[in-house]
Amino acid sequence: MVEGTKKRNRVFDYFCIEDQFAGGVAWCAGCPLELTARFVPQVLGKNMIFVGTPGCAAPVLHGQNIGAWHKLAYLASVMTGVPSKATGLSRYYNRIGLDATVVCFTGDGCATDVGFQPLSGAAERREKIIYLAYDNEGYMNTGNQRSSATPLGAATTTTPVGKIGRGKVTISKNMPLVMLMHRPTYMATATLSHLEDFAKKLQKAKEKAKEGFVYLHVFSPCPVGWRINSNMTIEVCRTAVRTNYFPLWEAEEGKPRFTVEVANPKPITEFTKLMRKFSHLKEDGLAELQKAVDERYALIKSLCDANK
Amino acid sequence: MAKAQKGQTRVITGNAVGAYGAMLCRPEVVAAYPITPQSELAEQLAQFVSNGVLDAEYVEVEGENSAMNVALAASVAGARAFTATSSYGLVFMYDALQEASGFRTPVVMVNANRETPGIHAVSSGQQDMISARDTGWVQIIVENDQEILDQIIIAFRLAEDYNIQLPVMVNYDGFYLSYLAEAVEIPNIEDVDAFLAPLKKQPGRQKLVPGVSIGCGTHGMEMGYVEARYKHCQALERAKNKVDEIDKAFGDYFGRYYHGQIEEYRTDDADIIIVASGSATGTVRTVIDTKREAGIKVGLVKLRLFRPFPAERLIKALKGKKAIGVIDRSLCFGWKYGPICMELRALSPEIGPTPILSYIDGLANLDITVPHIGRVIDEVGAAAQGKPYQEVTWIPMEE
Repeated sequence: MVEGTKKRNRVFDYFCIEDQFAGGVAWCAGCPLELTARFVPQVLGKNMIFVGTPGCAAPVLHGQNIGAWHKLAYLASVMTGVPSKATGLSRYYNRIGLDATVVCFTGDGCATDVGFQPLSGAAERREKIIYLAYDNEGYMNTGNQRSSATPLGAATTTTPVGKIGRGKVTISKNMPLVMLMHRPTYMATATLSHLEDFAKKLQKAKEKAKEGFVYLHVFSPCPVGWRINSNMTIEVCRTAVRTNYFPLWEAEEGKPRFTVEVANPKPITEFTKLMRKFSHLKEDGLAELQKAVDERYALIKSLCDANK
Repeated sequence: MAKAQKGQTRVITGNAVGAYGAMLCRPEVVAAYPITPQSELAEQLAQFVSNGVLDAEYVEVEGENSAMNVALAASVAGARAFTATSSYGLVFMYDALQEASGFRTPVVMVNANRETPGIHAVSSGQQDMISARDTGWVQIIVENDQEILDQIIIAFRLAEDYNIQLPVMVNYDGFYLSYLAEAVEIPNIEDVDAFLAPLKKQPGRQKLVPGVSIGCGTHGMEMGYVEARYKHCQALERAKNKVDEIDKAFGDYFGRYYHGQIEEYRTDDADIIIVASGSATGTVRTVIDTKREAGIKVGLVKLRLFRPFPAERLIKALKGKKAIGVIDRSLCFGWKYGPICMELRALSPEIGPTPILSYIDGLANLDITVPHIGRVIDEVGAAAQGKPYQEVTWIPMEE
């Protein structure tokens, strides 16, 4: 009990800046995106500017629902221009000596698909920006269509289950690894079930973004698209970590290491049973998904081990 | 305002001139991606930065879409921003072009005109610029190397004017001008500073800075959207007279006048008018001089401003003329006339019942030659005398 209280205090030490968002914003009940959007400025401070896109974040970030909004500066972009716009802002702010943390805040569709080119370009140029991709494994704002981040077997509205269709037939793009290969100044994966881990990574991100490019990949289950009960999203985050479906790791200057190591990872069925987007999968489908998860984890582990 | 000092005369290409023009305006952020026939401009600007001649953030972007996004965002933050492109590059930044104008950013861009996708063509033509017609930019077309340089300076003064705040695209014919070395007077940078100084006396434009509750690119809900668009269109309307005004100020200071939205050549007593733009207008002048010697009363209207379209000045120049020939270096797909001709025909009620003949020429680096223009003048002259005429002529298809 004592230990629990101590831990709780430490977490709240990180989130010490007042919430920049009003109550009652227009995000779906139970969506981790809302908490992510609220937490990021609580760690990074008010001198940040969101660069976002049309997507799940947009209704609140870009003033569609101005009844309940936020107090931060923001620049809204179409999906193809986010890191480039952040580049323009950060280059000029740095030039005139303005203290600013420029944060790209996009979904996985923008990061892994349509907006990938400028993201790769900005990372290669080591622009002094933070790119945070909230990964809900598809185009959720437009109604649950598949993206490159949609996992093997998942049912979406463009990979529907039918007489022939069995969900998505390819594995997801391993975006954190793709970004590691750009050797950013700092990069990390994070999720809301491991809040202290997330907060530490945000703090590092802020410091490292003064030197160069930072990429954060935040696992963000979608209660609507994945068909999860809205009170279960954090539990889904936790299970994703405990099954090695979404390992938590970071890389400073291209050197990866796990920040959370799971001693006895649970089978992927512990994860898939929490949602209905995999509910059509039979034993063979689940085995394939398990294989994909194991392969991916082994690859990251080998990179982390090589760096020890 | 006193007169500018005499500048240094150098023989350099249109691309190098473009780089000088940009450098003299001291842009703070430059983003560029190489594309034929503009690449030399991107290289020259990078060299200026490397040599310390230009103190700017030079962003070597991974594509034209990013070039425009970097430039427009830097502009939103308060920077003077410049970029340059051509053809497919302009097409690739189409969404960002609309954001640049929608955000009302005073970005200045040079576009070396080149044919655009569909049929791969590494050759001159105005199709790129024409295809970007409805992006909300101010579009200026220039004729020669000196005009490239001078128009970039004028473009910054126009773009950043408090009552305008719009991006400006300076277009010059790729290949013809981009690689053409001509003697150009390069003004002293202090004089360019002085010419742009009036901007500093204007109210500061709104800037996006962190720590302030302000956004850019906000959802335009219903009337919010309509009002922003209305103001954008009003600013474009204001830009027309502003172009004339700045041109006059530029001429008074530097000694070179371009006559603003359009330039008229021997139009006063002319019966027939040829409307042309870009590098071909020099040839048109030469042919007009020859025809004048033969007693044909022909004049030239050089279209300098394509967007906003200089309706009032065109009506004034063309009203009462007996026939008009319009030479287009691009196409208006699905509409038989050339694009500039089509725009001009929208002024028919004001101009009067004058035959307007459309000529398509100079596509894909095909020269608009002296015989071509001679033929145009002859045909327009015949139409003026009431003879039957062909509405649209693709000159290369008939040669």
